[in-house]
Amino acid sequence: MSNPFRLPMAPRAIRNLFSKPATRRYPYEIRPRFDGARGTIKFDVDTCNYCTLCAKRCPAAAITVSREDRTWAIEHLTCIGCNVCVEVCAKKSLAMSTEAKHVHTHAEVGPQGQRPGHEEWHGADPAIAAAAAKAAAELSIDAPSS
Amino acid sequence: MKRTIVPFGPQHPVLAEPLVLDLVLEDEKVIDAIPTIGYIHRGLEAMVDRVEYTEMGFVVERICGICSFMHGMGYCLALESIMSVEVPDRARWLRIIWAEISRIQSHLLWLGLGADAFGFENLFMHCWRMREEILDIFEKTTGGRIIHSVNRIGGVKRDISDSELIAIVARLDGLGKAFEATARVFANDPSIRHRMSGVGVLSMADARAVDAVGPMARASGVRMDTRLAGQNLYDQIEFEPVLETAGDCLARVVVRMREVRQSIDLIHQMVDKMPKGEGLPLENKPRGNPSGETFTRLEQPRGEVVYYVKANGTKYLERFRARTPTFANIPAMIKLVKGCDLADVPNIILTIDPCISCTER
Repeated sequence: MSNPFRLPMAPRAIRNLFSKPATRRYPYEIRPRFDGARGTIKFDVDTCNYCTLCAKRCPAAAITVSREDRTWAIEHLTCIGCNVCVEVCAKKSLAMSTEAKHVHTHAEVGPQGQRPGHEEWHGADPAIAAAAAKAAAELSIDAPSS
Repeated sequence: MKRTIVPFGPQHPVLAEPLVLDLVLEDEKVIDAIPTIGYIHRGLEAMVDRVEYTEMGFVVERICGICSFMHGMGYCLALESIMSVEVPDRARWLRIIWAEISRIQSHLLWLGLGADAFGFENLFMHCWRMREEILDIFEKTTGGRIIHSVNRIGGVKRDISDSELIAIVARLDGLGKAFEATARVFANDPSIRHRMSGVGVLSMADARAVDAVGPMARASGVRMDTRLAGQNLYDQIEFEPVLETAGDCLARVVVRMREVRQSIDLIHQMVDKMPKGEGLPLENKPRGNPSGETFTRLEQPRGEVVYYVKANGTKYLERFRARTPTFANIPAMIKLVKGCDLADVPNIILTIDPCISCTER
């Protein structure tokens, strides 16, 4: 459509007068992320068997796992969100949530030299965990079924 | 006449990236331009000796934020040809669908930046609003807006369901209609014509002599497109490169606008031709370590990119190299800048669509 005044933006400008703004007021209005979007790694400490496969496959070396100490740690600032660890985890202890990565600041570096983005889990001792599981199982047997 | 040297970059309002040109001026005329590159060299190619070849794809993807999909795809194609991996059909079609979507994204981004460079900020916002829809498609289908990480050696990681593909095509059609309104502005606005028409003319002979690639060459009438070689299933769809003959800045804008429309049309054809159904295989896992060397070519939004991979049978590659399109277009850019007015330099530099982070890697 060509208009005689050579103002090709005019129709668009008129439409913009009566339409919603194309942008959002960001901190107050956040666009929900799509299903399957890669965001933050979530770890389930109860199911992990500390096989260290995720740490071996992580291309950014963001994950450290210790089988002896039963600790699992991730540096969220090093993580590139490639989803490889989630795919290799045989126990399905890792999941990718769609929630966007948290913004870390220097204020998080405390007097003890805490690392921003560092998250660490300590698994229960296997013997204690087994005893707890056994106790729970007995409890469920003893409990009257309703 | 007295000569003055004016430094253009590494910090310049027209370009976010650190391109450096020393412009030798006589009055307002540019007599010579001396490029310097290396301001954002990150040594990504050298990382092959400490990053395993399976993980190197994630590094290659990060060469550039605009053609990240095609960089990952090119690396995987190179490794697949060394390791003789047969990629499942559906994965091959999905790859070129994503590749064409990323071409639309790149051209919309560039059209916006071009508009911004010649002072049409309103148009810049319209182009980027459309680009946002493409990024939404990417986030929905690959999980990432910019870094997609769906390419694997041997296939792709994610599938797009058939209903989703139809929805994407419908969305692209809607985008195409919105794009027409913007394209009319680019084609008809008198101020744009005044800035672009007849500026920075690269003749067909010159384009061949300095080995221009991509839209730069096609705007000068050189029928050159890696997709014409028929690799990656492009032989199964009707494809004819977009050609313009004027060779000036406006022709380069027009080529990219027509390529946006062409890519939408190509995606239509691809979705029609690809094998349909749920649960089709997407990946054939390679066995062992690669051994041998190969060249792979791809048509990126900016032109032809060449990957060279040499593997020695270990899990670390011996050599990886990418010759990116901007690197190939720098001689053409220097040729255009010589003899033009200082005020036209930003326009000419932008119309080659420079990606300095690709060039310096």
